[in-house]
Amino acid sequence: MLEIKKLNVAVEDKTILHEIELTLPLGELHVLLGPNGSGKSSLLATIMGLPPFQIVSGEILFDGAPIQELDLHARARLGIGLAYQRPPSLEGVSVRSFAAALDAAGRLEPEAQALDLADFLDRDMNVGFSGGEIKRWEVLKLVLQDPRLLLFDEPESGVDLEHVIAVGDAIARVVRKPDMRGRTCSGLVITHTGMILNHVKADRAHILREGRILHSGDPNALFAHIQTGGYTIPAA
Amino acid sequence: MAGTLASALRVDLSNEERDILHDVGFDDVAERAATGVLVDSEMRFAVSNDPGVEILPLKDALKTYDFVQDLMFGLASPDANEHIALVAERMHDPLGHFIWVKPGAKVRLPVQSFTLLEMPQGRQFTHDITLIDEGAEVDMVSGSAVPSSVHKGRHISIGECYMRRGASCNAVTIEHWGTGMDVYSYGYSQMEEGAQSNSTALMMAPVAHHTSRSTLTLGADTTCVSQAIVFAAKGTERVIATETHLNGAGARSEDLARMVSAGGTIRNDAHLVGNVAGSNGFLGCDGLKLTDEGAITAIPALEAIAEGAMLSHEASVGMIDNDKLHYLMAAGMDEDAARNLIVQGFLTLDNAAIPAGLKRRVVAFIAEAKTGGM
Repeated sequence: MLEIKKLNVAVEDKTILHEIELTLPLGELHVLLGPNGSGKSSLLATIMGLPPFQIVSGEILFDGAPIQELDLHARARLGIGLAYQRPPSLEGVSVRSFAAALDAAGRLEPEAQALDLADFLDRDMNVGFSGGEIKRWEVLKLVLQDPRLLLFDEPESGVDLEHVIAVGDAIARVVRKPDMRGRTCSGLVITHTGMILNHVKADRAHILREGRILHSGDPNALFAHIQTGGYTIPAA
Repeated sequence: MAGTLASALRVDLSNEERDILHDVGFDDVAERAATGVLVDSEMRFAVSNDPGVEILPLKDALKTYDFVQDLMFGLASPDANEHIALVAERMHDPLGHFIWVKPGAKVRLPVQSFTLLEMPQGRQFTHDITLIDEGAEVDMVSGSAVPSSVHKGRHISIGECYMRRGASCNAVTIEHWGTGMDVYSYGYSQMEEGAQSNSTALMMAPVAHHTSRSTLTLGADTTCVSQAIVFAAKGTERVIATETHLNGAGARSEDLARMVSAGGTIRNDAHLVGNVAGSNGFLGCDGLKLTDEGAITAIPALEAIAEGAMLSHEASVGMIDNDKLHYLMAAGMDEDAARNLIVQGFLTLDNAAIPAGLKRRVVAFIAEAKTGGM
């Protein structure tokens, strides 16, 4: 579904991602592990097409077609969606009016109930939401958007333990089930604590450090290695 | 009783006139406690269905009740400026309405009053007086409009509103003037002890120039929340000036303005004066620019005359935040839809006490105006 080939990304004149190679097959859920500042969020923002990230060279293929020339909206319409780590507050824009703008008003109430957000429908988006509420809202936002490639930027940060389980389970659920047109989805989830690993049931993990993918492998084995050896390449 | 159904001024409005006024809040006369409609230079309609409300053409009210002459220019000085002087000079035939909500009346249905300018290049000078008597409670809807064929003309109005002790009023005002018109409106209000007011003004439709000046004095233990939703398309110039005097202990005011420029200019001068200890006032002016053209100027001024007057303000003017725009676009909206949603959110009515049945129309009015549909 997603193939990233020799991708170099810069912000202004500084290259921040180097020669990224990553393949996310259809139906799989991968996690990105790495220390703060390693480039994980930048990579997700680049896939989504958010500024200020500029592709210097390389390719991003979605369903086999290059998307790096497409703007943000076009990528979203293709079926790419991003759950933000720190979304902006939209005063005056209620969850309900957002859903209506996405033509998803009919699905809002049952989906919100499933994420324990039934009381949020008339609240303004991200205004006064707690850390956990933001994360659950970002999952709900993707459910309403109904993308096929779901990107999650640190969905467990700022979330209490009880809700890490809920958020992790919700991520697994939305990635593992087909979209509204019955198409198989894939997911890419950033975590630097690994707390969410037990719940999302990832297929593969990638270590990103200093803007480069150091290693890819089994998620549980890689996380066990990181806990003792840090974000390094495990011994063969 | 003057102003009741038996002696009401009732010249039927045409269907076209009703449609025009509907857009600025007009509703079936039977669904309103009282209705007043002024067309060009005559009062065409003044009907009350509620014994607690009287509505009369001002010239009739002056002859009927001797106290009305004391209310007229009781708050506004006839020589306050050249426009008010122009209206004052027409005292031989004053044009406008007098609305009296009787002492203790709890008026269930809203009172509605409208001004229509049908004559192209018309010159309209009006003077309205509203008296909400002691302990009375009322909702009011007022609007101004022109047919779509009228785009040039001039309208100057004076409004004087007296709220007696313990009176309560929720008011909505909607204006829809012609694109090439010059409009000057001057409002004066006096709130006596314990009175409460919650008002919303929508100034959205294109107009060449509109100056709106209001002066408000608050007595002890009064509460006044006023909210202005302002839009300026390219070619529109708006000047909004408010002056609020907190004259009694326990007086509390919130003066909020949300302004959007789509190429037009808006200047908002808000002046809050705390004359006594124990009074409390807040000014909030927020502006959003949609293009590089046009300008929004927000000038909040606080003046604490007495020690212990608590005054504060917040003001912001800026373009649409790109982070918000990108956030919505990343969810699948195109740029126009994302901008639309952000502007709609910015103009959302906070705590507005709008009569039942009108809120949806008000929201639709805002949406239509900001997308250039009027």
